[in-house]
Amino acid sequence: MLFELFMAELRRSFIQSTRYSAEIIGGIVGTTIIFYGLFLSTRYVAGGGFQFGDRFDSIIIGYVLWTLMIFIQGSISGNLQDEARTGTLEQVFLSPYGASQVFLCRAIASLFINLVINISILLVIIGLTGSNLSFPLILFLPLLTVLLGAYGLSFIMGSLALILKQVQQALSIFQFGLLFLFTAPVESWSGGLRILGYCLPMAPGAGLLRDVMARGEGLDGGRWAIALLNGVVYFSLGMLLFRWSERETKRQGKLGGY
Amino acid sequence: MNVLEAVDLQKIYRNRQKTVAAVQEVSLTLAAKEVLAFLGPNGAGKTTTIKMIAGLILPDRGSVRIAGRDPHREPKALRSLGAVLEGNRNVYWRLTPEENLEYFGVLRGLTRQVARQRAQVLLERFDLMDKRQSQVQKLSRGMQQKLAIAVSLIHDPQLLLLDEPTLGLDVEATASVKQLVREIAAEGRAILLTTHQLDIAEELSDRVAIINQGKIVIEEPTSELIRQFSGTAYRIELEQELDADRAYKIGALGAVIEGNRVAVHEVSLLYPILEILKPLPLVRLEKDRANLTEIFLKLVGKNAI
Repeated sequence: MLFELFMAELRRSFIQSTRYSAEIIGGIVGTTIIFYGLFLSTRYVAGGGFQFGDRFDSIIIGYVLWTLMIFIQGSISGNLQDEARTGTLEQVFLSPYGASQVFLCRAIASLFINLVINISILLVIIGLTGSNLSFPLILFLPLLTVLLGAYGLSFIMGSLALILKQVQQALSIFQFGLLFLFTAPVESWSGGLRILGYCLPMAPGAGLLRDVMARGEGLDGGRWAIALLNGVVYFSLGMLLFRWSERETKRQGKLGGY
Repeated sequence: MNVLEAVDLQKIYRNRQKTVAAVQEVSLTLAAKEVLAFLGPNGAGKTTTIKMIAGLILPDRGSVRIAGRDPHREPKALRSLGAVLEGNRNVYWRLTPEENLEYFGVLRGLTRQVARQRAQVLLERFDLMDKRQSQVQKLSRGMQQKLAIAVSLIHDPQLLLLDEPTLGLDVEATASVKQLVREIAAEGRAILLTTHQLDIAEELSDRVAIINQGKIVIEEPTSELIRQFSGTAYRIELEQELDADRAYKIGALGAVIEGNRVAVHEVSLLYPILEILKPLPLVRLEKDRANLTEIFLKLVGKNAI
């Protein structure tokens, strides 16, 4: 049944985004320009802030992942605020599935659409420039742990949106934090710092991604298990906090307010 | 079993130093096929009560059961509930009526196939077939409201909460919504209706509950309430003014004459007076009957509607 809900959310998100074609065209043009820029100035970007390595593939994939994480992170809180503004939020909370399941389905559905657009553009550019981009399938494993952490953070931001209503400031601070979490070389930390690194959201998974993509290393099973645990913990934490915030907002009688 | 059982609901809001008792000791029950008009001035606690019933506001005390289930603890209880909430759009304006019905059907727990079939039936029944592929934002206010009601029925709930369903609608759309409410109740659903249009409440409801300052001040079957507040007087209207002789005789019996109208305050005087009036042509003979507006004003004071 949850799959039915996911498909319904996918259809709804797709229809709504295509109805305002200006938004989607703007998004496609923006993404194309960024990707094209990346292709033209790989070296320049490689010397910049985030160190996915100096290989061309890693930079492109790293950029896609980073934008996806930003997208996921703001997805639940953004959706909550949109629905409160358009006056449909309370109807969503009347679902027998429960709000956390509905919003998770929504966040995954919108990620799916975002991913399809991004990958299509990427493929077109690759086709046009004759470049070669390889994506090792083993990447999916660390990616999964990072995604779990990202959705956990998304639910934490959603909880803030429910309780505080305004989260734009917090979101932009979070984006800086996200850059740090994604770039901190936790795999090279030692002692107490190493343990701290394992506890930071998404950081162990991001470290594994770097190993596989930039350093060409194989996937370390033990570290992957830690990264998976990290992802599961943050995801559960996000879910728990979201359910608590839902109850607290209902206690304050402020669910529909914006 | 009652479709709705709300017992002793209480909600107190604390804002810094101020404490506002929004709802106190409110109990409401509703059986299948019953329409309860839930009336009260602005800020009396109607919407807070409705949202506590729908599971959208957590009560400080008291319990809610919809078809035997608590919406605050068992999300499955929401399978039996449909709601059109005031001040909400309730549907997605960028989607068409057909897409809204299908989407909300799945959101309420139906499979896509069943949601599709139900959507077609409801579009037909709510006269929205021609507009099924237009975006909701392009529809008239009346059609949008009809769609909101259709969407609230997509999963075939036993209880329907309608918060101000006729607000801002023109005469034709209001009549159409009224007719729909009648039909929906006749199908066996329980309906909790709030409205400031008391004539509509009087026409549609089986029972009336009036809330003021968070407390229910009266709850009675509508006809019983009207009977209680109606006098025993009769009013007789004649085609022309009374002649002096008849006026004298009727006045002597104790009735009050104003031009071509006679007010009879005791039932026992009605037939003797009619005897005196015979064979003068009558325009109207009616019993003094209170309406819900008068009753409401008496109970909650003026400036309340």
